[in-house]
Amino acid sequence: MTTVTTRTAPAATRRRRRRNALIGWSFVLPNLLGFAALTLVPVAGTFVVAFTDWDSYSTPKWVGLANFRRMRHDDNFWTALQNTCWYAAGHIPLTLAASLGLAVLLNQKLRGVGILRTAFFFPYVTSLVAVAVVWNMLLSPDIGPVNQLLRHLGWSHPPGWTTSTDWSLPALIATSVWRDMGYYMVLFLAGLQTIPAELYEAARMDGAGPWARFRHVTMPGLRPTTFFVTVMLTISSFKVFDLVQVMTEGGPGRSTLVLSQLIFREGITHGRFGYSSAVSLALFVIVLAVTLAQFQIQRRSER
Amino acid sequence: MRMTTTRLLPVALAATLFGAAACGSGGGSGTTSDGRTVVKIALWNYQTTPEFKALIDGFEAKYPKIDVQPVDILADDYPDKVTTMLAGGDRTDVLTMKNVTDYARYATRGQLLPLTGSVAGLPDKSAYAGLADYDLGGQYYALPYRQDFWVLFYNKKLVGDADVSHLTWSGFDSLAKQLTTGSGASKTYGTYLHTWRSVVQAVASAQTGGDLLGGDYGWMKDQYGIALDVQKAGATLPFATASSQKTTYDSQFTTGKAAMVPMGTWWAAALLAEKAEGKNPVDWGMAPLPQTTADGKTVTFGSPTAFAVNKKARNADAAKQFVEWASGPQGAAVLAKVGLVPSYHDSSVTSTFFGVRGMPTDAASRQAMQPSKVQLEMPVSDKSSDIDQILTEEHELVMTGEKSVDAGIKEMDHRVKTEVQ
Repeated sequence: MTTVTTRTAPAATRRRRRRNALIGWSFVLPNLLGFAALTLVPVAGTFVVAFTDWDSYSTPKWVGLANFRRMRHDDNFWTALQNTCWYAAGHIPLTLAASLGLAVLLNQKLRGVGILRTAFFFPYVTSLVAVAVVWNMLLSPDIGPVNQLLRHLGWSHPPGWTTSTDWSLPALIATSVWRDMGYYMVLFLAGLQTIPAELYEAARMDGAGPWARFRHVTMPGLRPTTFFVTVMLTISSFKVFDLVQVMTEGGPGRSTLVLSQLIFREGITHGRFGYSSAVSLALFVIVLAVTLAQFQIQRRSER
Repeated sequence: MRMTTTRLLPVALAATLFGAAACGSGGGSGTTSDGRTVVKIALWNYQTTPEFKALIDGFEAKYPKIDVQPVDILADDYPDKVTTMLAGGDRTDVLTMKNVTDYARYATRGQLLPLTGSVAGLPDKSAYAGLADYDLGGQYYALPYRQDFWVLFYNKKLVGDADVSHLTWSGFDSLAKQLTTGSGASKTYGTYLHTWRSVVQAVASAQTGGDLLGGDYGWMKDQYGIALDVQKAGATLPFATASSQKTTYDSQFTTGKAAMVPMGTWWAAALLAEKAEGKNPVDWGMAPLPQTTADGKTVTFGSPTAFAVNKKARNADAAKQFVEWASGPQGAAVLAKVGLVPSYHDSSVTSTFFGVRGMPTDAASRQAMQPSKVQLEMPVSDKSSDIDQILTEEHELVMTGEKSVDAGIKEMDHRVKTEVQ
């Protein structure tokens, strides 16, 4: 009896394992196929198309590095890159500060805190097009409530916001910070829940005030969350497209033209998919480099 | 049994997804269940653009064995969407050519079926306005069915006794200021100049002979002077407000906020349809577009709209039949009945047009419909879309006061010469 069991046991285990693996694969397969068809293949395709003169219809011709050489002399590319960097430089720190500040404030045991948290999170679940349209109305130079308020406060010539080359990018940054801060606030709130209350208690007993507790307990405790939020913000900032497209379409002039818009314009509007792919590749490399640098900095600070 | 279902469900889902992805580019058999040939036609805003339904219904009544099915696309996204569709090997049979620049792009890439034979068979080519704009080295790949050009729409009540039938631009400027009344929410503007660059640039190009692709844009200066003067006097909604609010010319006019609006003839059909539905109480008329010089000639600009057949059309013959019918006399009669200016014109089409219920038939309106010359809004070239981008960007800066007219024109000259190789 014992002999029979020892002989059949490995075969049964193998069968069970194979069956489990099959079941596992069958669950993963739909997602994997979708990922391969809609992400992996197009991304790989971009790498190839970037070295061709493909116009989406005729047979592509291999042009080597010509698209990249063109990029070097393309004023639109440098303007878009500069605008994207300025957008990121404003959007990342301001969203970090606003969402962290909100999370710390709304982590208190206050009456109606749930309603406040929901209110701040609400813009994130609202359609981005609706957000852009509403902010366009609020920031309208002549009849927008923001400028009416500023005039009432004594600023006789308030900015043209989305119609001014100086103010259009700040206006976009302010809108995106307003929209995103609620989402990142939720992430920070989750991070704050993981910091043991005993640490605050001990710091208080040692005579630490609110700022010292924030600096020496909250900030170190939130380091993983802050890192994650920064990486996510970096990626989303460099890829920004929809908000700019709806609010300013890259204008006035080229004052809010960003890289994603340039990619869209070159490919879809002008039919230069080769060049458009080359710019995509440049954007990919920039985002990858910045993200890797952030991982490197994070690793060093952990040592 | 339940276990089997649990295992098979994800696999079935994957297969469905994969199948859907594989069949993504224009499925369908090409015939209906009752054996009619299907002709799919790419068009925009089907519900609010009366011409498409009128043409489809008219064609199907004549050819009952063909079922024309609209592929409705949002007007603003139309050129991008069609470019993407064609790139993906879409087999939609008929493609509406919204402008000549896109037509040239699709035709030179070999995405459209040649229609040179259809053009050669036309009994009188001169009866088709705008046909020459589709001539690409002796070859035609589309047939125009509409020929719009710009006129001056005006609100009869607000304009009152003022004569708008022979306006120069400086006369228009003075009249716009004179017709501006009230303030704040109750303000009525003398005019509304829409945010499109053509409102200034194409007017100047048509009436001064300036070349929009040339790279020297000094000839735009006077027209910018007029547009900015009207704006500075508060006689039009400021460009910055119109642009940030995404104001529509229709709303400015039909709510009685603007007395005069320079716009394309296509608007007449929309105004008539709105009036028929009781949405628009404005009593309106048309006049010739104001002119730079008062020499009695009316020079305006415009664009034909055409139908082309996709090179990968599933039913090319039936598609060709639709395009020929829509651009010919019978299609023209259908279009004139909804208040649009067809490409094909003869006396019966003109009388049908002015016989539409609600269409103004006064002398100024009739005169507006017979311009001396209609120049193409944007010349056809492989550089057109790049130059259009630059001119649009600089137009925004000039009209929002971010740049002076001289600085804007200088930048247009510089960018067109250096960026468009």
